[in-house]
Amino acid sequence: MNGIEPVALHEATRRRYLNYAMSVITSRALPDVRDGLKPVQRRILYAMYHNLRLMPQGRFRKSAAVVGECMAKYHPHGDSSIYEAMVRMAQPFSLLHPLVDGHGNFGSPDGDSAAAMRYTESKLTPIALELLREIGQRTVDFRPTYDGQLFEPIVLPARFPQLLVNGSEGIAVGMATRIPPHNLREVIDAALMLIATPECEVKDLCRKLRGPDFPTGGLILDSRAELTKIYENGSGPIRVQGTWETEKRGRKHYIIIGSIPYAQNKASLIEKIGAAIAERKVPQLQDVRDESTDVCRIVLELRKREDATAAMAYLFKHTPLQQTYHVNLTALIPQRGSDVPVPARLDLKTLLRHWLDFRFDTVRRRFEFELQKLRERIHILEGFEIIFVDLDEAIRIIRGSEGRRDAAEQLMDRFGLDDLQADAVLELKLYRLSRLEILEIRQELDEKRTAAERIEAILAEDRELWGVVREELSDLREKFGTKRRTRIGASDEDELDYRDDAYIVAEDTFVIVTRDGWIKRQSSFTDISKIRIREGDRIDWLIRCSTRSAITFFTDQGSAYVIMVDDVQPTTGYGGPVQKHFQFADRERVVAIQSFDPRNMPKLPRPDASQAALPFADGDDPPPPWGVAVTRHGRIARFSLETHSEPSTRSGRRYMRVGRGDDGVVAVYPCVGEEWVTIASHQGRALAFSVADAKILKAAGKGVLAMKLREDDRVFAYELSTSTIRGACVHTERGRELMVTPRRFGGSRAGRGAVVLKRGHFVDWIREPVVILDKVQGEE
Amino acid sequence: MAPRQYTASDITVMEGLEAVRKRPGMYIGGTGREGLHHLLWEIVDNAVDEAMNGFASHIQVILHKDGRTASVVDNGRGIPVGIHPKHKRSALELVFTTLHAGGKFDQGSYVTSGGLHGVGASVVNALSSSLTVTVRRDGGEHRQEYRRGKPRAAVRRVREARGSGTRIQFTPDEQIFGARVFDADKVREQLDVKAYLNPGLRIVFRDEANGVTAELEHEGGLKDYLDHLVKKSQQRSILSESFTLDRQDNGAINGGGFQLPIRSNIALVWTESPKERLHSFVNGIPTQDGGTHEQGFKDAVVKAVRSYAETHDKIPSKLKISAEDIREGVVGIISLFLIEPQFQGQTKDKLNNPEVRGQIDSMLRADLEQWLHDNGTAADAIVSRAIQAARARMASRAAVQQVRRKSPISRRLNLPGKLADCASSDPSVSEIFIVEGDSAGGSAKQGRDRKTMAILPLRGKVLNAEQASLAKVRKNNELMDVVRALGCGMDKDFDASRLRYHKVILLMDADSDGHHIATLLLTFFYRYMPDLIRGGYVFLAQPPLYRITGGKKTWWAADDREKERILGRLPARVKPEIMRFKGLGEMMPKTLFQTTLNPKKRRLLQVSIPEGYLSETEVVITNLLGKDPKARYREIMARADEVEELDV
Repeated sequence: MNGIEPVALHEATRRRYLNYAMSVITSRALPDVRDGLKPVQRRILYAMYHNLRLMPQGRFRKSAAVVGECMAKYHPHGDSSIYEAMVRMAQPFSLLHPLVDGHGNFGSPDGDSAAAMRYTESKLTPIALELLREIGQRTVDFRPTYDGQLFEPIVLPARFPQLLVNGSEGIAVGMATRIPPHNLREVIDAALMLIATPECEVKDLCRKLRGPDFPTGGLILDSRAELTKIYENGSGPIRVQGTWETEKRGRKHYIIIGSIPYAQNKASLIEKIGAAIAERKVPQLQDVRDESTDVCRIVLELRKREDATAAMAYLFKHTPLQQTYHVNLTALIPQRGSDVPVPARLDLKTLLRHWLDFRFDTVRRRFEFELQKLRERIHILEGFEIIFVDLDEAIRIIRGSEGRRDAAEQLMDRFGLDDLQADAVLELKLYRLSRLEILEIRQELDEKRTAAERIEAILAEDRELWGVVREELSDLREKFGTKRRTRIGASDEDELDYRDDAYIVAEDTFVIVTRDGWIKRQSSFTDISKIRIREGDRIDWLIRCSTRSAITFFTDQGSAYVIMVDDVQPTTGYGGPVQKHFQFADRERVVAIQSFDPRNMPKLPRPDASQAALPFADGDDPPPPWGVAVTRHGRIARFSLETHSEPSTRSGRRYMRVGRGDDGVVAVYPCVGEEWVTIASHQGRALAFSVADAKILKAAGKGVLAMKLREDDRVFAYELSTSTIRGACVHTERGRELMVTPRRFGGSRAGRGAVVLKRGHFVDWIREPVVILDKVQGEE
Repeated sequence: MAPRQYTASDITVMEGLEAVRKRPGMYIGGTGREGLHHLLWEIVDNAVDEAMNGFASHIQVILHKDGRTASVVDNGRGIPVGIHPKHKRSALELVFTTLHAGGKFDQGSYVTSGGLHGVGASVVNALSSSLTVTVRRDGGEHRQEYRRGKPRAAVRRVREARGSGTRIQFTPDEQIFGARVFDADKVREQLDVKAYLNPGLRIVFRDEANGVTAELEHEGGLKDYLDHLVKKSQQRSILSESFTLDRQDNGAINGGGFQLPIRSNIALVWTESPKERLHSFVNGIPTQDGGTHEQGFKDAVVKAVRSYAETHDKIPSKLKISAEDIREGVVGIISLFLIEPQFQGQTKDKLNNPEVRGQIDSMLRADLEQWLHDNGTAADAIVSRAIQAARARMASRAAVQQVRRKSPISRRLNLPGKLADCASSDPSVSEIFIVEGDSAGGSAKQGRDRKTMAILPLRGKVLNAEQASLAKVRKNNELMDVVRALGCGMDKDFDASRLRYHKVILLMDADSDGHHIATLLLTFFYRYMPDLIRGGYVFLAQPPLYRITGGKKTWWAADDREKERILGRLPARVKPEIMRFKGLGEMMPKTLFQTTLNPKKRRLLQVSIPEGYLSETEVVITNLLGKDPKARYREIMARADEVEELDV
């Protein structure tokens, strides 16, 4: 029915998708194993060579001319994709040996893009000629272009393994390729080895070809064995680092980064390093500057007496200064009897083998072409030789003939020449009729015959041909070989140690914790009253300590939460609620803070000489300093502080089990065993006893009874006192102040305490904020 | 009585109360039901003021048998009965007969009061057919009676009595209010609210008509009131405990130079209800139209919850939570006691003090935020409720848009701008060509038959529907343009009867990228409107790949095979010129019509899913376009040699 045919969805989809996929694979994204080029690159080079003749020794031409020529005649796709491909071929930081000689702005390692194609100019580089020079010698096959108007080469007669030397990257459908650049000398050495010993293995080749050689230099961390494995598998990760050294100028020390990993954007790398410095993540560093010209030079300013290796360890771990390059040696392999190549992932040997076979073929075809040309010439010269024997007769025939056709026919009849020879004779210039000419012709004939014989001999023997291949490769190695830029194999000192705490700036800071549980730190303040806190809140703890020390939050629920001081938000604002750092239960409150800065730890009594050998009488008890907690229900627990000195998880650690209902820890203090516990109960009782009476817990437990309370009475105030005339201070309802001093209320643990109030209860616990400033305990 | 001089001051008094009777609406908001009750509240509020300022402990409100007479009794200080030093009349009489007379102007005797402008008692008096006030103080009981605002006699000491207090009995004037009576239920409810707002205050309500007496007292204050409201609305709180704020600032001056409220009480909780309900009171009077205190409340709640959520990173990235999402389900009560409240309108329905907004905002925000940090469980419940609300809002907006799309009136308007529609609106003859790229779209537009052919150009590669999520598909402009142009909806909303064209023709360049786009579109149809394919509506156009000119004739070839066939037929001496089309945009519009669009000459492939190939279809689509690159690789490599006409 008028031109409508059915088609099944799966077939239509499959046919079209496969067409797309195969088109992308075979003629867009993947390079040919022989010349290492993608179609667009090949067409650009061919257009530059064949159509525009942009030779290295010649003039530059506008890039737009190249793009236009390439697009119109060979590559029916977008102009920008053609120009981008061309730009990449001109970038010395992308290709180890650029194929296009670019004049003007062709982009930079900082990610700047090239100037528009109407500004830039280009021509071929000398090494690009090594891909093209044999193209006129029938060395490779041609096919019609997309519109059937012209012919284009299927592959370029590459005289060196371009694929390995310059590498390639591309994402096709269902597959991709990522071939790093390699050093030309090493690649050729490996190729030579393979010619000499075709049965050698990848690991042998890897002795010559040691690994990638990136135009941007850098350092490859992987060992030779690891690299060999990658070349055997055709894929694997390679770790690449920038290289660095230290420099001293005046009193200042600097780190100079002399190279960065391949294909990294230098500007954005520096931005990331700058951000890390600005956020004070690398305290060793002060500043970063880019002093690069055409040579990479990133200058990092070291702080005084800081460790350069620690700084670099951080940058390698957290910035693209170290990168993993995933090698994937996938390329298109020509198929015998088909003009559609097939993609395959190759090991190094197969890859080189394919190229060598292609090279061998090319050289053979070149000689065959040369030989044919020689034979044609010999044929003509033989015709001349015959004519010159009876030259006058020939002249007579020509003069008497009726035009060219007739002259040719008569010559052929008279001398037994063929068409070609007769034509050549008629084309001779008159001056060549001189007497000397015959000698020259004979001489040329001899030369040509010798040359033809030589070529015939070469063509007769594969070994001879391989010899030529080898020789030409060696010449190329001499002419274009360069020193390796990328260092391979890390020594021990290159594998830098990464330690988290190296990046905490060691400095003294003030940790501020408020009654409502807001925490922050400030490096300085003018006056306690000037410290910013939320309206209605008040500072309960203000402690000077080092950012490298831990700080512990004890809560009423019996949990201890520990973080590094460095992780406390440094701000002159309100800071953040403690719940931001820890997973608090509902209504859980901070009742004590302990800084583990050694200067803030309680000073231990000097043990007697006699006890020095036996550090502590109760062998099993944890040693001081301890924490002492008292709960509302009147229980007391003494526990090792040391247990709570390491940063905890968000859920914290338990230091004491509190009772049900309204029980909760009233306060926690550090102690060394010589202090007094002073307690006031809500209903007006007071008790003091030695802290030594409180049992030391080995694990979080309920503790022992501190004060025997009536059913509805609760501990109201609890303080630890080092003096017999000081203790918890409370107010009565009438405003009278009472201090629970050991001197007045001293008793024993688990006692009922002295009755201070017959009626009513205490209303106010006078508690000064804990302020530990500069004259800290233990500081010498 | 001695004849008096008619003086200017008399005129003020007389005219004052006359004005009230002439325009009662100006003073009590109207003469309807509301107005009638307003009289009662003026009197009750005076008593409550007395209680709230600590001078009275309980109040009695009586609705008498006739339903129109009410009495309000308190045990406060009693209105002063002595002679006013300036006006030479009893203070009591001044209060009841003079506008703008009262004890609430300077802050000496009352700190806060619900009564405003001092019009309360005198207005009630003016609008009552009879009013009797009995004051006990200074060891005696004093009484004065009025008729329509005019005293029948001077204040008189009735008897000796102990204690103090005031009793006002009044009957609203029938001339003004008609035969309306008090609504006992409403009065009781309102009194109950007053008891909630003033914990400790006891109100005894007696409804003599029905013989009911109730004692109203709520120790728990706003918290109890909140529980009561939530329960009454049959909602459930999502929190185990409500948040309350109770502040006494006694009018301290804050940073802005304004006095803080004397007392600020706020209670709030979140329920599962989609609504937000606020009950606000200023000096015990409900502010039904809200005002600055409610604005402050809203600001604070939103900021506090947001700050909590941000501090603890609770909000999923990409989700935008609006203020409404956070407040959804909030039930809140705000009760403020202000020294100088300003209202909009005499009926005091809207608070106007500008400073209150900031004051409430800052005090509530700080407290609520701290409460959230301290009560993680509750806070998380609130945040997840807000997230839920935000998601629901997005979903419902999407649903609304979906509905809108369905309505036939807006159908035309909803078409994508790039669509060049056809003249016919009959789907059975209409065709739509989905064309690759704007340059091809141009050729197609010019070359088409306007009557039946619509053109929709797409730009570049469309989204791969096999790998993208539904949400991403819905956000993709190109695909949504297709859906809108077709008009039939997608996914669950697909409805073939609304399809605007019965031929959906994919017209792509005959190169590999064109093939790719065709497969992407087919995949989209297969996944999101499979019935479009099953119904036989989807076609693939076959644009030519080559133009062959030989001698004076021109042939078109859709593929290489056809090209060879044509070349083979040519006489040997003719050298053919072959031109390969790269893009549809390369053709003259007329050529495009001749070769591809013209229904008489064109070739179309009608896409179908044949019986027995269901699983095959599924496998092909999943493997080739799905997320697994290995499956794609295998499929490609297995069939690599079947591929024809590769691009070069």
